[in-house]
Amino acid sequence: MQEGRCPGAEMGSAFPVEPVPLLHASRRTFLRAAGMLVAGLALPRARANEKVRTTANSGHKIVVAVIGGVRRDETFAPEGLVNIPHLSTDLLPKSLFYSHARNEGVTAHFNAISSILTGNWQRVDDWGKLAPTSPTLFEQYRKGLGVDRSDTWVVASNKALTSLIGASSDSNYGPAYGANVVFPKQLMLQAVADALRGGRTANMADRSKVESELESAMEGSNYEGLGWNVFDAADRLDPRVRSSIQAAIAGFVRGGGPTSGDELTFFMSREVMRKFAPRVLVVVFSDVEAAHFGAYSMHLSGIRTADRLAYQLWQEVEANPDYRGQTTMVILPEFGRDPDGSSTNGFFNHRANVDSTRDTWMMTLGTAVDRPQIVERPIRHVDLCPTLADLLGCRPLSVQGTRLVEFQG
Amino acid sequence: MRADDKPSPDIQDALNKGLLKRLPLTFLPFVNQQLSQWVFLFPNERQSVERLLRYVASLTSEQSAGLFRDVVQLEEKMGVRQWEFSTTEQSILNSSQLARSPYFQEWRRAVQAVFDAADRHESIAGKAPNRSRNRLVLLNVPRSLPLDRNQLWKRWQGTGRPVALDLGSAQQAHSVLDFLLNGMPQAAGVRGDGLLDEARKRGPGSPADTWVVDAGRSLIDSILAQNADGASTKDGVLLSYGRLDLYRQNFSHEMNTMRKDLADADAVFDRLRKVEVAPWCPPELASAAAVQEFLRSLYLTGNGAVIFGNSFVEWAASEAFRRARPAFLAAQFGVRSKPKPFTSVAVFDNPDQVNPLPAVDDLAGSAVDAQMLALYVWLAANRYEEYQRSTVCVCVAESISEAYIVAPPEFSLPKSIEPLSVDHLGQSLRDWIA
Repeated sequence: MQEGRCPGAEMGSAFPVEPVPLLHASRRTFLRAAGMLVAGLALPRARANEKVRTTANSGHKIVVAVIGGVRRDETFAPEGLVNIPHLSTDLLPKSLFYSHARNEGVTAHFNAISSILTGNWQRVDDWGKLAPTSPTLFEQYRKGLGVDRSDTWVVASNKALTSLIGASSDSNYGPAYGANVVFPKQLMLQAVADALRGGRTANMADRSKVESELESAMEGSNYEGLGWNVFDAADRLDPRVRSSIQAAIAGFVRGGGPTSGDELTFFMSREVMRKFAPRVLVVVFSDVEAAHFGAYSMHLSGIRTADRLAYQLWQEVEANPDYRGQTTMVILPEFGRDPDGSSTNGFFNHRANVDSTRDTWMMTLGTAVDRPQIVERPIRHVDLCPTLADLLGCRPLSVQGTRLVEFQG
Repeated sequence: MRADDKPSPDIQDALNKGLLKRLPLTFLPFVNQQLSQWVFLFPNERQSVERLLRYVASLTSEQSAGLFRDVVQLEEKMGVRQWEFSTTEQSILNSSQLARSPYFQEWRRAVQAVFDAADRHESIAGKAPNRSRNRLVLLNVPRSLPLDRNQLWKRWQGTGRPVALDLGSAQQAHSVLDFLLNGMPQAAGVRGDGLLDEARKRGPGSPADTWVVDAGRSLIDSILAQNADGASTKDGVLLSYGRLDLYRQNFSHEMNTMRKDLADADAVFDRLRKVEVAPWCPPELASAAAVQEFLRSLYLTGNGAVIFGNSFVEWAASEAFRRARPAFLAAQFGVRSKPKPFTSVAVFDNPDQVNPLPAVDDLAGSAVDAQMLALYVWLAANRYEEYQRSTVCVCVAESISEAYIVAPPEFSLPKSIEPLSVDHLGQSLRDWIA
């Protein structure tokens, strides 16, 4: 189509014709050449004798870190390694690494994450207005094994998600078996809005006062107002959660470090781990989505932040006695991003039907890793849910994904 | 109503005879929207719609049914008739429903095949527009942005070559681009021949044949200062991120009120499609209704155009290529501020409103952004046949006194020893577009 335009175009953009990747960055992973894997393979399996049986009572825990849309070019391609020093150097040698983890569904945030969590490609409302149509990992686990709600959490930065990500619309499951869902960044948004309304914007420039603004936003809100869904209580903040939020805010504000949404999500996730030690924790980072605004440098910065925070999450797993030696952690992007030169404006977006957008990677750490290895066979995002469900001892459901045989449970 | 406020008489005649009834459901939002906004379309867009409609009108009903068979079958599989699907305009809800369908990719291919057939038909009929004229894409990364000579052009993958520049002559201008566009400063503020003069000399074309897009305001200010009225459109379409502050802020204010669901998004977008934008425009756009609407569409489609000057430049240039196919486009990148602590989590646009900390220039970050987006501007042009042969692209990196030049063999630079003076570069470019 010479004009690059036709009906169905996404609001004035060129009609999404097949993008032409004019730049041919290597699609091959650097892994064979990097040599670092050799070192990883040579390592004796750490804590092999600590392998945990996977039953509901085994204490096996799952942490999934999802990091928004990132291309291979900016991550596990040779030129991208500079952005992911922790993933590529600290974690890769001890990981089970899938070089090709494909999103073959809708490459939009809510659908991508709900596909990962359900094992079925979801095609619901992109803005999270509708729940996934088949049971999430949380529901399978809670209903199947009688697990308490406090054992399943989603902590997310992404504004495209809603609390409906925690449970499906399946009438045999549903919110009664869903996860707690919190969006820490929403607190920040609320605090900024409150300060603007109250003529207190000067407070947002003073680190010491930001903390009180955030706490004030928390006190003045309920779960519903923040878009959260915690312990079935929408009208007031649960005291069990309040102290976790306060600790997270304090760490975020007083730490003196970066102040992005993902940082706050990390602090909140860590507090949830320390306070509730959930058996299934899903953390969604989204600083990388600054790409939508065309700031490539901020996108790269988001990747470096996700790399560091994923590593810090793993450090928490290794340091926290409730997790150490009994946890499988999985790190994966939701999807890639569109290729340079595509009619969908390249890295800004993630809707092209090409490998740059669909073909990502997945890293597994911890007890499910029998031995570090790299799997070149393509897997699909929907394969993760049945694999994790199996690790947790859930009865298998009929889903589109299939269990990954490399996971040891 | 002027004659060009409507499609050609033969198309109008076909429309009156029910031509639209032959189109599949999913074609209607696009075609209806284009027809209803005809007065705001650039000549290239009008030709495109007419090409499609003229082709369909030339077919028998059996032939047009054959042309659209695949699309119609896919619409049935997708269940489009059961959707809440607007046939009058392209909506977010429409796009969302299409994109979620498992048949979306197949549908896109089928639609593309229809447009390809229309293009082939016109080509065979010898009515294809002349796409062979010389074109120029001129990009500038200003001197304040630090660049690494060893890394700078890698993403261009050897499609052109770097040329060392002597920028001495341009020192008195705001930027190299200012110098190239406006010419050498002379006495009493008068300028010598610049590229804009040359573009003007090419005769009465559409004003949309020349575009200048500025991530700040100094370049457009300088161009307007050459004109007696300070607001002339004789130089083509002049877009300045800085001079569009009011327009942008009004838009982003509306968009920030949007709740997070498709219905509300469409309601807000609907409001923004109808709001009177002329009062928000700077003088140079006061009488350019099509450009005012171009900006409305640009801001509605996001891509950072309301947030960052460099994103505005890239997206405006990309959309200009797609919609207007200018023969000459110049784009100047600039500097954005660093995100402010804490509040940048919530607000990207107008951060000064919620955080009194002084804005700090992010020179390194802006340089990374500008490098990538300059390439994207060129790649955006390259998607269209018009730019694939007779187009010169020059990307000037002021801080390292270098330019990257992608050009067909017919384009020649003076056979002097590098560094090439910016006067000689300007002369070669003027010769090219003359």
